[in-house]
Amino acid sequence: MIRLIRVELLKLRTIRLPFGLLAAAAGLTALVTVLKASRAGSGGRRMSIAPLYTVHGLTSVLTSTDFAMIMALVFGVIVSTGEFRHSTATTTYLGTPNRVQVLVAKAVAAAVGGALFGAVAAAITTGVALIFVSSKGYPLVLGGATIARYALGAVLGSALLAAVGVAVGSLIRSQVVAIVTVFAWGFIVEQVIGGLYNAAQPYLPYTAARTLAGATLDGGTAPLPFLAATALLVAVAVLASVVAAATTVRQDVA
Amino acid sequence: MSVIEVRGLTKRFGSVLAVDHVSFDVEQGSISGFLGPNGAGKTTTLRMLLGLVEPSEGTALIGGNSYRELSDPLRRVGAVLEASSFYPGRTARHHLQIQAIVAKATPARVDEVLHLVGLSRDADRRVGDYSLGMRQRLGLAGALIGDPEVLLLDEPANGLDPEGVRWLRELLRSLAERGRTILVSSHILAEVAQTVDRVVILDRGRLVAQSSLDELTSGARQIVRVRTPRADELQSALGAEDVPTRLVGNDWLEAKNTTPEHVGTLAAKLGIPIFESKTEAENLEEVFLKLTATDQERGSR
Repeated sequence: MIRLIRVELLKLRTIRLPFGLLAAAAGLTALVTVLKASRAGSGGRRMSIAPLYTVHGLTSVLTSTDFAMIMALVFGVIVSTGEFRHSTATTTYLGTPNRVQVLVAKAVAAAVGGALFGAVAAAITTGVALIFVSSKGYPLVLGGATIARYALGAVLGSALLAAVGVAVGSLIRSQVVAIVTVFAWGFIVEQVIGGLYNAAQPYLPYTAARTLAGATLDGGTAPLPFLAATALLVAVAVLASVVAAATTVRQDVA
Repeated sequence: MSVIEVRGLTKRFGSVLAVDHVSFDVEQGSISGFLGPNGAGKTTTLRMLLGLVEPSEGTALIGGNSYRELSDPLRRVGAVLEASSFYPGRTARHHLQIQAIVAKATPARVDEVLHLVGLSRDADRRVGDYSLGMRQRLGLAGALIGDPEVLLLDEPANGLDPEGVRWLRELLRSLAERGRTILVSSHILAEVAQTVDRVVILDRGRLVAQSSLDELTSGARQIVRVRTPRADELQSALGAEDVPTRLVGNDWLEAKNTTPEHVGTLAAKLGIPIFESKTEAENLEEVFLKLTATDQERGSR
């Protein structure tokens, strides 16, 4: 299994796409974070951000990791669908006929790569927030432990979303359809369900990952505790993988 | 000893019967041609042998096991399927490094196989920039990485220039000399006729022949042409023995499905002089085409 995970990680390191995705995630995170931090306390009417000397304002900047987290999900989708897009699944399955092992190795490798998305994004948001807070001479209203927990949550959430992405990609196989599906899920379906049924918000996977990284919910709904949110994401990844292993993963590779 | 054993192998795709109860064997150390027109079911059969496609019925064993049961399959079986299944943005060297880890081969093996297929100088180029012929060579390099005993090659000559085809032929010969068992598919008999010992011929999903090349040609029909002033007399004598004949001009008679010995003996018995005799065998390509002809084509022949 270690060998297979090594193989999957080497596959990711020897192509440009993961680095491009990571760069895009880092660039957009930096842009959004700097915009939010610079407009904190004086934002527009539709998207006002409390000043950085308030818990709400600082949290809002620190939790700009959410875009990188959905990019980690997309990354996971690409890890599995890429094999079908380029017909490389044939070669992969010839080397490792046990397809479930391949699926697990991919999920682990994607989680490792996904963690990097979360780590880079957390470093950017934390760095930008600290620079703005100190340059304006504000007090730091969140403790170091809380900020560290948000960063850890971003890393963990991204890693688990990437593993979910591998399973979703294994189920859908078509790269374009799968990417559109996860974007639509994260940005539309979860927003609508969460908006209409506030109590359901904590249990929506992408929302749960965001709360791991410190995001607050609409209507003052309490997020799941850290461990419960982690367990929820693990359960989604495992469940989707089991369904994929029992269905699409067994299909003929022609 | 049979290394590859296919028994009653069948694959249905919905209502389409792609492979229909096919059985054949490939002996150790032999090169077998796996022939048939496009769409005959060759690729589906190979994919079933390799565990990529689940058979509807029957078994396909390599060394007594199904492919999925093999431990370290890349050390037992090397396969080249379609030439396009590489990630275009990855270099050939990286592709083979990945394969080497899967096959538990040494890193040095990557350079060995690159050299073997003549890609050493292009190893650090992205595969997307490769020609079809270069991708075929890379596919072979990947198949050879685990130094396997068995090679299954699907149309490996596609995209190779004449020099490449000759190179491939020599490579396969040298591998067979070292005891490797090779099954190589093609839709062009001439492409493999100089390389293979035996042929397995499929047509529309069914096995139509499994034999050595010699057996295949010995079963070919001969046409005997004789020049004689009494051609019509000889024609009726042969006709009485159900030998199909045809008069060509005034003094040439063409007889099918017979031998020059038979025609000559009959003529001597009747005192018919023969001035000239020619025998033509159908060539291998004609045999192949006849075996794989559609009913309509067969009717018109």
